[in-house]
Amino acid sequence: MSIAPRLQVVYVAGLATVQDLGRRGYRILGVPISGALDRLSAAYANALVGNPSSYAVVEVFGSVKLRPTVDAVVAVTGGYPRVFVGDVEVAPWTPFYCGAGSEVSVVPTGRGYAHYVAVSGGVLCEEVMGSVSTYVRGGFGCLGRALRPGDELGVRPVRADDLWEGVRNARPPWEVVARSADPGDPVVLRVTEGIHSHLLGDLSTLLTSEYTVTPESDRMGYRLDGPALAAASRLGRLPSTPTDRGYVQVPPDGKPIVLMADAQTTGGYAVALHVVQPDTDILAQLRPGRRVRFRLVSLEEAEELTSKYLAELENPALAVAEEEYWT
Amino acid sequence: MGADIRIVGSGGYVVHLDICEELSMECVGRAHRLYYAALRELSGLVDEVVLGVTSLALYYDPRRVRASELVTSIKRVWSWAREADLKELHRPRRFTVPVVYGDEYGPDLSSVAKWAGLSEKEVVRIHSSRVYTCITLGFTPGFIYLGEVDPRIAAPRLETPRVRIPRGSVGIAGRMTGVYGLESPGGWRLIGRTPLTMFDPRRSPPIPIAPGDEVLFKPVEPEEFSRLSGVFVGEYSP
Repeated sequence: MSIAPRLQVVYVAGLATVQDLGRRGYRILGVPISGALDRLSAAYANALVGNPSSYAVVEVFGSVKLRPTVDAVVAVTGGYPRVFVGDVEVAPWTPFYCGAGSEVSVVPTGRGYAHYVAVSGGVLCEEVMGSVSTYVRGGFGCLGRALRPGDELGVRPVRADDLWEGVRNARPPWEVVARSADPGDPVVLRVTEGIHSHLLGDLSTLLTSEYTVTPESDRMGYRLDGPALAAASRLGRLPSTPTDRGYVQVPPDGKPIVLMADAQTTGGYAVALHVVQPDTDILAQLRPGRRVRFRLVSLEEAEELTSKYLAELENPALAVAEEEYWT
Repeated sequence: MGADIRIVGSGGYVVHLDICEELSMECVGRAHRLYYAALRELSGLVDEVVLGVTSLALYYDPRRVRASELVTSIKRVWSWAREADLKELHRPRRFTVPVVYGDEYGPDLSSVAKWAGLSEKEVVRIHSSRVYTCITLGFTPGFIYLGEVDPRIAAPRLETPRVRIPRGSVGIAGRMTGVYGLESPGGWRLIGRTPLTMFDPRRSPPIPIAPGDEVLFKPVEPEEFSRLSGVFVGEYSP
């Protein structure tokens, strides 16, 4: 007789939800894509424990303590948090073996913001419209709400011992870690012009100023503070257009909002810029107070960046560890 | 064709199309032609087609197709779709939505009546006496944008949006009316509420109403609200 493996939620401070790479094909019904805010970190967390990129992981802003009820391989990515198995500190971005009943703790350090915990076999919970990603506002996907102490999630049964030999020396390329753990300040976000740039005219305020991530940022959007784009106030509200992750909306107050994974599917504010997909992941890692700049790239360049990003999401490129990274 | 619709690439994976700048049902019809024609003809090239009120977005994988090539295909589709019979691209279904108007169900009915210079009863009669077209769905799951509202009752949206609107609420914002599929924030003037379940994430599809479909509101008494509560919009027959 075997008991289905579980992942128990022991402690949460902040926001912890189950996410995969998102819900596709339902935006025409108003359903946001959801999924990990930093998709590349989620994909690498999975790869490090031998899972396909699309498996569900736990996303945490803040601290979390999780306990697998079976032996498991676990990896924590996204930023550079401190990670413990019981009392023993282990490195993020590195797979580690977690015996049944041991507690995995993730503690933020100020480097990065959105952390991802992957467990070998992946988290199993209710799939809605092809994804287990939790959309808290809609109350659906997985538990339909943020994780709380006492919650128990399913885990696909896998043989952790066999798996461990295959992944124990796996490491992501350093650029991937540095991307979310230690981006310079201000962080440069590459953008194309947005769908309403022709109505806004001169975008030089946005393209030459520094903006600060504000505390009013969440999974729907990161609100930035800095010089206002004056043209936005005269435009007001437009007929609602489809919107997406990375769209830089400018409401009448002129302060940009970068839409994130849980954003509304249509919106009536002018869209000035569009942050390229890999850089939306990087923005996700910037906690309130961090500063950004926008740098314009061509559409062709954006297509190249998106192509490379999508390929990496599908097949995260792991290397074999030669020496330990800095911690 | 350039003077006709505006096509612009964005972000390296989106082609955005503006059909026109101002809302009109003629423009919405053009957007629907292009939407359904794109679904039929371009599904091999694009991952997802999303419809705005007077615009469309096509999401593509730049590893498979580039914007320049996609735009050529869009222009080819548009060259015939613009003249096509919409009913052949999408056969509209009609949905009846029972609504309890006014009081706690529609807290802004009085302000709409005041704006219109009409009685509340007259506003209800005007609102429920035409067949609306589903313009699109969006912003939140299952919210339906419907048009076109009689200009006599086309009151503007609220200055300050509400933080929480109960699901099923029926609102007016200028020439559009709409139904909130799930509880959400919002700025439309609420004139009533349907007891039907408009959006159920566990059904497939979660809402049966598609762009181009027809919606008719049927005023019902408050006593009906609990009796019809939870009936799925696709399974209600008046």
